[in-house]
Amino acid sequence: MNRASFTASFTIGAALCLLFLLAALAGLVWTPYDPAGIDIAHKLLAPSARHWFGTDQLGRDVFSLLLAGAHNSLGVACLAVAIGMGVGVPLGLWAAARGGVVDEVLMRGNDIVFAFPSLLLAILITAVWGPGAVTAILAIGIFNVPVFARITRGGALSVWTRDFTLAAQVAGKGRTAISLQHVLPNLAGLLLVQAMLQLSLGVLAEAGLSYLGLGAQPPAPSWGRMLNEAQTLTALAPTLAIFPGVVIVLTVLGLNLLGDALRDRFDVRMRRA
Amino acid sequence: MRAWRAATAAWLLALVLLPARGEAATLVLGVQLEPPVLDPTVNPAAAIGEILQGNLYEGLVRFDAEGEVLPALASSWDVSADGLTYTFHLRDGVRFHDGTAFDAQTAKFSLDRARAADSANPQRSRLAAIREAQAADAHTLILRLSRRSGSLLQSLAWTAFAMISPNSADNATHPVGTGPFRFGAWRRGDSVDLVRNEDYWGAKAPLQAVRFKFIPDPSAAYAALMSGDVQVFANYPAPESLAQFQRDPRFAVHEGITEGETLLALNNRRPPFNDIRVRRAIAQAIDRRAVIDGAMYGHGEPIGSHFPPHRPASVDLTGRYPYSPPAARRLLAEAGWAQGFAMTLKLPPPAYARRGGEIIAAQLAAVGIRARIENIEWAQWLDQVFARHEFDATVIQHAEPMDYDIYGRDDYYFGYDNAAFKPLLVALEQAMDPAARREALGAIQRRIAEDAVNVFLFQYPKLSVYDRRVSGLVLDDPLNATDLSHATVADGLNGFDPAPTSASESAWARLAPWLALAVALAAGAHALGWRAAGRRLAILAITLLVASAVIFLIVQVAPGDPARFMLGLQADAQRVAAVRHELGLDGSAPHRYVEWIAGVARGDLGISYTYRIPVTQLVADRLAVSLPLALLALLLTALIALPLGILAAWQRGRWLDPLISAGTQMGVAVPNFWLGILLILLFAIILRWVPAGGFPGWDAGWRAALSALALPAIALALPQAAILTRVLRASLLDSLHEDYVRTARAKGLSPLAALLRHALPNALLPVLTVLGLQLSFLLAGAVVIENVFYLPGLGRLLFQAIVQRDLMVVQSVVLLLVVAVVAVSFLVDLCYAWVDPRLRTEARA
Repeated sequence: MNRASFTASFTIGAALCLLFLLAALAGLVWTPYDPAGIDIAHKLLAPSARHWFGTDQLGRDVFSLLLAGAHNSLGVACLAVAIGMGVGVPLGLWAAARGGVVDEVLMRGNDIVFAFPSLLLAILITAVWGPGAVTAILAIGIFNVPVFARITRGGALSVWTRDFTLAAQVAGKGRTAISLQHVLPNLAGLLLVQAMLQLSLGVLAEAGLSYLGLGAQPPAPSWGRMLNEAQTLTALAPTLAIFPGVVIVLTVLGLNLLGDALRDRFDVRMRRA
Repeated sequence: MRAWRAATAAWLLALVLLPARGEAATLVLGVQLEPPVLDPTVNPAAAIGEILQGNLYEGLVRFDAEGEVLPALASSWDVSADGLTYTFHLRDGVRFHDGTAFDAQTAKFSLDRARAADSANPQRSRLAAIREAQAADAHTLILRLSRRSGSLLQSLAWTAFAMISPNSADNATHPVGTGPFRFGAWRRGDSVDLVRNEDYWGAKAPLQAVRFKFIPDPSAAYAALMSGDVQVFANYPAPESLAQFQRDPRFAVHEGITEGETLLALNNRRPPFNDIRVRRAIAQAIDRRAVIDGAMYGHGEPIGSHFPPHRPASVDLTGRYPYSPPAARRLLAEAGWAQGFAMTLKLPPPAYARRGGEIIAAQLAAVGIRARIENIEWAQWLDQVFARHEFDATVIQHAEPMDYDIYGRDDYYFGYDNAAFKPLLVALEQAMDPAARREALGAIQRRIAEDAVNVFLFQYPKLSVYDRRVSGLVLDDPLNATDLSHATVADGLNGFDPAPTSASESAWARLAPWLALAVALAAGAHALGWRAAGRRLAILAITLLVASAVIFLIVQVAPGDPARFMLGLQADAQRVAAVRHELGLDGSAPHRYVEWIAGVARGDLGISYTYRIPVTQLVADRLAVSLPLALLALLLTALIALPLGILAAWQRGRWLDPLISAGTQMGVAVPNFWLGILLILLFAIILRWVPAGGFPGWDAGWRAALSALALPAIALALPQAAILTRVLRASLLDSLHEDYVRTARAKGLSPLAALLRHALPNALLPVLTVLGLQLSFLLAGAVVIENVFYLPGLGRLLFQAIVQRDLMVVQSVVLLLVVAVVAVSFLVDLCYAWVDPRLRTEARA
């Protein structure tokens, strides 16, 4: 990627991510209307100066719902990444530090989780444990574990061949200490880039689960569920099916662009999963 | 893979060669819910009567639209002066569909079976007054009562007391009755066919055959009517789109009222709802009009008690608790809840409950009651609310006619308990003449309203939409059935081809994957070397074993007892235990797991809990949708990505490359289900080029079938094509730096020729890997997309099974999908070795 396109994708990506973050924060404290404010008399209004994006089937302001839905989407994706990193990174470090049987067992376990189509298991988990934001986080988070474990192990193995880890070993440091003090800091860029990618996948997965009715439950606003509810009304109020989708696309686009730009910045060569 | 495709192609060809449609008069009707079984005498599902009452099953008597009792198989009857003896004069020359003659003996059999002590009949208690049934002669049936029962004749009109043949009783899947239509076929999860009874005792039905198609989603119902997949929707579930049909000259719209009282049901045994002041406060906090406008788009009539407002005996009590938040707050304060309280509101799936519930929660919030919404599936509703009474409040429609007697039942789910109520029901049973009955019914309505047992919201509307070329439909019916015995269609309308489809396709569907797998394995193993192939096969087997254990574990912790759900509301412990045994649910978990896996290895995926037929049979039909969909999407993915990727690499650095890059960035970010919705909006609703969803079946011709799959395949393919384009471009650019490409260029080849001839073959390796991964995404993604387009594929089967707690189907379908994914990645590995000679030699060395 050349310099110009790097700057472009960084600028656009960072701007979209910032917008998304601000919306999520704003949605917590202020929205133009109460996102739970049902007003049957004013249902299914077209976009106007009063209601920028119109109102939904219960007369709620769509713009306010989108703002309020942002932190749901962001929250689920972030926590799912946190689960993936919290479990996957230590596992990857451990596998790289020990090698041998530990490594083999961990990586084979990873392969098995990879064998599941992720969405399928997420659907299974939420359907059985009851739908909700928490199960959605867990279901998405589980799939982040092998991703981070694999990428950490790969990165750590190459760091272990470097001189400074050898020096630390000679100095008598334990493998755990070296993993934490020397290996992990060298993987920061790699993990950051992967985190951006998993965040964007998390936003997509959350939207998909919510669309199927397996994500956050009403009245908590959720982009995916807004699309589901809009579907029976496409002929009557087509804009209801447009805005939440546009918001999802822009969010994912922003995260992807920023991820791409950071990857070039840190010169991380991505593994193809 | 190749054999798979060949099989699909052969099968598509066979469909093209199928004979053209016949000229029969047929009709397809949409119904929202599929009955779990087709025997109304053992199962309470209203969906059974909705399709079979009057069409296949007949009783001694029947209802007219007003709920009055008319003769059916009994041409007349006499009631003794003391009201204790009923003499029915039965029709002559009536035969059941199995050839058995209908007479007083078979009528006695039907009623004795229904009222026996061990009967599973869901309405058994309604016949409790009968002491004895006697066949006086071949055509005279006498019922002797132990006490007066003013509602007996009406009860006998219920579908649960249909006349059944002694030779075909206890047959839940192949119903036999006396009606103008006999049973044709039942495609689980899709439709039931009825064909004309040529030996009917009355006037023969004008229609040769009818099909009831199960369409659970309101928007799919809209799509099916608009596209002409169904011609009649007698209980149309989407009031929001009714206005569009009213404006459309192709359709007729009928509006009536059903027997369904829609309630905010309150758990009267739990505090604070055991306090009448709290219940009255809630009643005054609810604005019925807003609920009707918001949940039903204005369709539905407000009610003030548990009684249909269109019946002559109805008393208008809607003014008893007028909407008044201040009054509600005062009552709450009086009851000691000035600060309000928190509660949960459990909502079953229908739109009236989900939308209505959100509005009600907002209205309750206005008086300080914080209602937390919990959306639940029907299985959970039956289990938590109806069976175990674990709820505060719920929104529910009571669809049965004359069901005020539920307020007299002990331990009914809403827990109404007032000693003054039961005598009112007794008085009603004692009353024989219309005026006295009316008086008694009025007292019942007033008592229920006075005690504010539940919040009475509205009478559910009967909304019917049908093609104008259909006439003679009888839509208003207290049992919500659609009587088709007089229905006719105008020339030019033909619902479906009644000729049965060949059974060979399911055999094919079962055989083809195995055949394909064997061929591919042999080819791959040959290419890779047998030892390396064996090692990978062992890894594959271990992966599948672990995966199956994980699936089994997840599914086994699912709440809800499938046996209880299958048996419905009235099941007793003994029957539940019997069914648990029949389904093999009583064994230990490890035992059941081994049984399951052993079965799967034999190609037996178990028996569906819901339908009680082999899962393989269900899966075979669904594969005929999902497999072509996934392959079509894969083909599209490759067709879009290959040229775009090559173009981007060739035009690198010029204006086209960044344009394609930007496009693929967008493509990766678009959720496929949203793309699906947009495609529906554009091509189905605005342009009307293709149907908005649903699947006409391959027997409707391959053109219709493919056009139904076109949009879903595009929605699935575009995001995947974006990914593949990026991979191909990157991989091509890598190859371009290789020496051999430089050499080719030096030889004088044009950049494009060098790209195509030298870089492309090498760049295809990663593309192959990604493509293999994508097939698994496509298979799993189809679960969502099939729900967007209402396609009866594996994904919808899975989703439906989750909702119905049909764990055997869930377990087996998920395993099947995982097997497919793992097998595909294994095959990709083999292909890899076959394409790349280096890998082959390495493996052999």
